[in-house]
Amino acid sequence: MKTKKAMEIIDKGWLKKPKGFRVHFQKIVDSEPVTDYVPDMEDKPLASDVVAWRLAWKLSESTQSEDPAIKDGDMVNIYVVDDDGEPVIFYGTGRAERYRPYSKVSS
Amino acid sequence: MESQLIEWQHFGNYMSQHGQYVVRAMLILVLGLIGAGLIRRFLNRMLEKPVFKHATLSTVINVFYVLLIFIVVAIALQYAGFRGLVIYRTLALITLGVVGIFVIARPYLPTLPFKVGNTVEAGGLLGKVEATTFLNTRLRTFDGKTIYVPNRRILDDIVVNYHFTPTRRVYLGVGIRYDQDLIKAKRVVETLMIGDPRVLATPRPIVYVTELAAGSVDLSGRCWVKNLEYWKTRCDLIEKIKLRFDQEGIVIAYPQLDVHHYGETCQAIQLMESYQTITTSDMEA
Repeated sequence: MKTKKAMEIIDKGWLKKPKGFRVHFQKIVDSEPVTDYVPDMEDKPLASDVVAWRLAWKLSESTQSEDPAIKDGDMVNIYVVDDDGEPVIFYGTGRAERYRPYSKVSS
Repeated sequence: MESQLIEWQHFGNYMSQHGQYVVRAMLILVLGLIGAGLIRRFLNRMLEKPVFKHATLSTVINVFYVLLIFIVVAIALQYAGFRGLVIYRTLALITLGVVGIFVIARPYLPTLPFKVGNTVEAGGLLGKVEATTFLNTRLRTFDGKTIYVPNRRILDDIVVNYHFTPTRRVYLGVGIRYDQDLIKAKRVVETLMIGDPRVLATPRPIVYVTELAAGSVDLSGRCWVKNLEYWKTRCDLIEKIKLRFDQEGIVIAYPQLDVHHYGETCQAIQLMESYQTITTSDMEA
């Protein structure tokens, strides 16, 4: 096998190189979580996951309130996704991270 | 004295006959020049984005500005009572001369090794070039200072232009302790570089063991990025290497001096022990 061919196999099969990152979040509207992204899907994604995670953390910090109950307008399930929408591992801990986790309990 | 009085009388007579034309011509000239300046500024702003090459833009605008001034001066002179054809011929010759100098002589003029908008290191300063004139260059440093550097100083000094090449190599130096897993550390650094979207696929990122130093095994990661993304990518990768090493249990070396003490018959210890024995027996007595 030529070295070039081996390199092609490595490029395809080894590490996934994302094209960019977005912050995924859900906003509570009429008690229902509505998914959105920063930047918008039609805008250019962020080039750095470091920047994306910092943005996610800032978003979660700015929507924190002393009241633990989730109410309309709150932002929940904040995490970073890649260009395919797949959650990105937080580089700081090496684990999946999610700020303000929320799952709607069906009544 | 008398001749001066006669001159003033002539001037008074002229102004009483043609004063209104002269004033009107002056007014047209002043307003025209202000208008030309405004149009120039407006065009500069409008064409800044569509025309990427700043040199081309400034040439086009300067030529257009000269033509505008030509029109304004011609109209003003006509209002002042001069004959139209003579004015147009004279001004056309002058304008052609000026435009010719702009277009023809431009490539032969000594130029600075950068353009407006470039990030350069010149005259001992690092910053973005905001403007250049015949005398000096206006640099804006990254801490927000505006500095006027004399061109003489720039031309005599070494200039680093960070925009000349589109890509740049990032160097990541990290030292690990001798008892750490070297292969693992190399893999971590390489994986982090490959995984970053800003790191270019070719030339491929690579990690070298560059030194078996006094207190560390030095690794050097090298990868290529676009020029404008150099600084942020470098900082992000350094941050990630530190955190990932922590997660993987790889200890980064720091300057230290280990003193190892072997054997039980060290003279110093024997002396200390004998001193302690003497002191205790003295106290007991």
